[in-house]
Amino acid sequence: MHETLDAFVTWLRATQVSEFIRDKPWLWPACEIAHFVGLSLLVGVIGFFDLRLLGAFRRVPLYAAWSLVPWGKLGFAIAAATGVTFFVGAPDQYVNNVAFYAKLVFLLIAGVNAAAFEIIYGARVKTSAAIDATPMAYRAIAVVSIVSWFFVIYWGRMLPFVGNAF
Amino acid sequence: MMDFLASVESTEFASWLRESGSIWAYPAVLTLHTLGLGVLVGASAVLDLRLLGAASQMPLEPLRRLFPIMWAGFWVNAISGVLLFMTDATTKGTTTVFMAKLGIIVVAVIVLTTIRRSVFGHSPVSRDPSMTVKALAAASLALWLAAIITGRYMAYV
Repeated sequence: MHETLDAFVTWLRATQVSEFIRDKPWLWPACEIAHFVGLSLLVGVIGFFDLRLLGAFRRVPLYAAWSLVPWGKLGFAIAAATGVTFFVGAPDQYVNNVAFYAKLVFLLIAGVNAAAFEIIYGARVKTSAAIDATPMAYRAIAVVSIVSWFFVIYWGRMLPFVGNAF
Repeated sequence: MMDFLASVESTEFASWLRESGSIWAYPAVLTLHTLGLGVLVGASAVLDLRLLGAASQMPLEPLRRLFPIMWAGFWVNAISGVLLFMTDATTKGTTTVFMAKLGIIVVAVIVLTTIRRSVFGHSPVSRDPSMTVKALAAASLALWLAAIITGRYMAYV
């Protein structure tokens, strides 16, 4: 298992795109900035929607709060794209780092949770003008969302301290 | 000034934050700083985006309650920021980029309070923000971006 992983890291580091990421001194800091911009957009928009699901901002109709969610997805896309860039540029920093796997686990939980909400309730939410529609299922999904994104950030921040990544 | 920065940096508390290796020292403070950033900039961005025309079916009046959330993020970051500064005061305190970051945040907070006054200062709250308010919202987004850029840059000085 370890040998396969090492071989993968060696192969990835030798690719042109990986070398390109390491060669440009401005690219890594630029991606860090974009990663934080994406994080802020995600936390703000998805956090706002989660609070709405929990019953705050009740005078905002659910469909109206939902119409902001694409901005949260944009934030996620920015953070994900720059995150992949970090990994491709320096896979050796991540593959043996427990914080990296913990972050991935919480990303998976957050992603499955968000997808489940959209698949099960998406159509209903889009047309829901109900001012105080906060059923238990919505609240549970909001709590899972807030907790899992918290740990995504926590383990992301721990990358340089638990392992050796930056 | 340099003496003051040096004495801040050499306090027992600053040394503990910097050198203890405890997950509750530097890493915890840095995590709080990241969370506070997400909450402050994120909540501000929700309001700014709405003012600029996103999710225009959303009534503006209830968004007044985003402000306590923003202030919570602001104070978490002001306090965690002071702690991070203490660990490396002689370096951070003498760089232009740090002064620039502080200046940007001061202006961003002034813009925020101006938005609050212009949009929520009188009732009923209009659903259609004026051009002035839209310009303030755009400035707010640009200032937070500048704060993030200078903040990230701090890690490299």
